[in-house]
Amino acid sequence: MTVAAAIPPEGPGPEASSDQAAVLARYDDLAGLLAGVDDRPRSDPDLSAAATPALMHEARLLDAGRFEDWLCGWTDDAVLWVPLSATAHPGTDQSLLLDDRRRLAERVEWRRDPAAWGQQPPSRTTRIVGGVEAWPAPGGGLITRSSLLVDEHRHGRHQQLAGYQIHELVGDDLRRRTKILVVAALGTGVRNPSFLL
Amino acid sequence: MTAIDFDPSAIDFTQLVQPHRVHRRLYTDPQIFGLEMTRVFAASWCYVGHESEIPEPGDYRTTTLGLRPVLMTRGRDGAVNVLLNRCAHRGTVVVGEAGGCAKRFVCPYHGWTYSPDGRLVAIPFPGDHPVEDYSTLSLGRLEAASYRGFVFATLNADPEPLECWLGEAREAFDTIIDRHPGGEIAVMGSPQLLEFAGNWKLSWDNAADGLHATFAHHSYNTLGEMVDTETVLARDPGSTPMVSMALRNGHMVVDQRPGIPQGPWATMRDVPFREPLESRLADAGAGELLDLATGSMLNLSLFPNLIFVGNQLLVVEPVAVDRTRLQLWLTSAPGAPPEIDLLRLRVDEDFVNFGTPDDLDMFERVQRGLSIPEMEWIDMSRGLPDDAGDGDAGTEATISGPITSEAPQRRYLAHYAEMMTNPAATRAR
Repeated sequence: MTVAAAIPPEGPGPEASSDQAAVLARYDDLAGLLAGVDDRPRSDPDLSAAATPALMHEARLLDAGRFEDWLCGWTDDAVLWVPLSATAHPGTDQSLLLDDRRRLAERVEWRRDPAAWGQQPPSRTTRIVGGVEAWPAPGGGLITRSSLLVDEHRHGRHQQLAGYQIHELVGDDLRRRTKILVVAALGTGVRNPSFLL
Repeated sequence: MTAIDFDPSAIDFTQLVQPHRVHRRLYTDPQIFGLEMTRVFAASWCYVGHESEIPEPGDYRTTTLGLRPVLMTRGRDGAVNVLLNRCAHRGTVVVGEAGGCAKRFVCPYHGWTYSPDGRLVAIPFPGDHPVEDYSTLSLGRLEAASYRGFVFATLNADPEPLECWLGEAREAFDTIIDRHPGGEIAVMGSPQLLEFAGNWKLSWDNAADGLHATFAHHSYNTLGEMVDTETVLARDPGSTPMVSMALRNGHMVVDQRPGIPQGPWATMRDVPFREPLESRLADAGAGELLDLATGSMLNLSLFPNLIFVGNQLLVVEPVAVDRTRLQLWLTSAPGAPPEIDLLRLRVDEDFVNFGTPDDLDMFERVQRGLSIPEMEWIDMSRGLPDDAGDGDAGTEATISGPITSEAPQRRYLAHYAEMMTNPAATRAR
C-alpha cells in the first residue's frame, strides 16, 4: 500500500495540501524506483556511456572531499535516500538517511565542522563504480543503476562497504535529482557510516 | 592465562568497581566479558522485543540475549514465548531469518520440528529414536513477561517479578507510553544496526551522561545555531534544571523536560519535508500533537540493554569485549494522525546522522585509551557524595541530581558489581 493511500481522506483535518501530496508522491516514487530496478530491461549502451562520466565525477568529488562542488551537482528538489533494505519505503520504514537539498547542505556544513567528531579526522575513501546501466527517465533525463564499492580508512581502521546506487539524472548537465544508495551491510551492522553519501 | 585455568572467583569486583572510580579491566578483559554474558545478561531481565512486532499467531523475531540466539514468537494460543534458538538435537540454530511467520519451525539440519511455542512436535524416522516423551526435547524456554507491550525475558532461575525489577522506572516508562494517543505505541520493523569497536558498557556510561552533549555533540548544536534553533543538547549543563536520576537495579533517567519549557518540537531543526506535514496538522488544529513527532525528552535506561531515547528504542547488544552492536528501533504512534509517523521517520534520522557518529567515535576513542595498561582507572566521581551514597546505594530507591552528576553511572556500576560478585543461578525452562 502506498503512503498516500494509507492516510484516510477524512484524516485529522482538511484534504491533503498539494504540498503534502507532493511529498507522499515523491516517497512513493522513490520506493517504486527502488523496487522496480531489477525488473528493468537490458540497458542501452549509448545511454550507459552517456551517464558514466557523471557517476565517475560524483565518486571523484566525494573521494576528494570536494563536498561543496558535489552539492552543486544536485537539483533544488533533490533527494538522497539510503534505505536499510532493498524493499524499504521512505514513508513507512526507517532509513539511514533521507536528505532533501536543505539537509544535504547541512551535511556539507557538518563535514566541515572541526568538532564533528564522527568525521574528524575525516574518512579517506575510494569509490569504485562499475556496471553502469542507464534508461530514459519518464520526465526526461536518465535513470541509472551502478554497482558501488566504498573502501574506507579512518583512525587506522579499514572497512569496505558494497552495494548499488540508483540515480535520476536530469538536464543537459545530468544533475542529480534522485540518488538511492543500497548497502547490504546496513542490514547487519556497520561501523560509523557517516562517510556514506 | 587461558580460559581453561581461568578462576572467576579470583576477580574481586569490589576492587574493580569503587565508589569513585572503576578499573579499565571491566572494558578490556575478555574473561570478564564472558562472565557478564551470564551473570548480567542471562541473570537479569532483558528487553527482547515488542508485542506489536509479532501480532499474529506464528509471528516471530530473532535476536540475541547475552550472545545466545533467541527467538520471540506468538503461539497459536496468542501467548508470547521467548525461546532459545537452538535445536534440542545437535544444537543447530533452528531459525535463521530475522523475522517472519511460520506454522512450525523445522531444523534445517535433521528435520526436527517445533511448534511456535517451542514444543517438539515431530522428528523424522521416529521409530529409530528411543525417547518417547517429546516434552523433554523442547526448545529451551526463558521466563518471559510483558510491560506495556514490551517483552522482557530472563534465564534467572528465580527472578523477581518484572514489575518489581522495573520498580521506580515504571513512572518514566508509563510517561513515555502514555503521551501517545490511546496509550499505544508500535515498533517499526528493520532497525538501524550500528556497531562500534568498544565495550557495551561504554554506551551505558553515555546514556545518562548530561555533560558530554556540550562537547561531543558540539557540531549538532552548531547546526542548530545556524538556523537559530536551540537544540535540546545546547543547554548549559551546569545551570539547566534538567534532572538525572539513578534508580534501583541500575536503571537511569534523564528528564530534559524542565530545561525546555517551550516544548520538544521547538528544539528541532527543519527536517526534510517538515513544512507540508506540519502545516497540515496546524491547519487541522492539531499543532500540539507535533511534540509527538520528537521524543518525550525523558530518557529512560533499563539496565542492561534497553534505552529509550527520542522516539527510538536503543537496544545494546554485546558482540565481544571490544565490539558492540546498537539496534535502533523506531516507535510509531498508531493513534496519532499519520503525519506524526511521517515526521518521526525524518526526525529519527536527524540525531542518528549528526549526533550518533560523535558518540560512536567517542566510544572507540575510549576503548583505545583504555588499552593502556599503565593507566588503570576511570574517574566516576563527579557529584559525589551521592545523597544516598553510604556505600549501600544499591538499596536506596532513587538518587536525583543535576545532569552533570555521574551518580547514574556509579549506581548502575554498583548494581553490576553486585551481580558479578554474587551471581544468580541461571537455567533454561
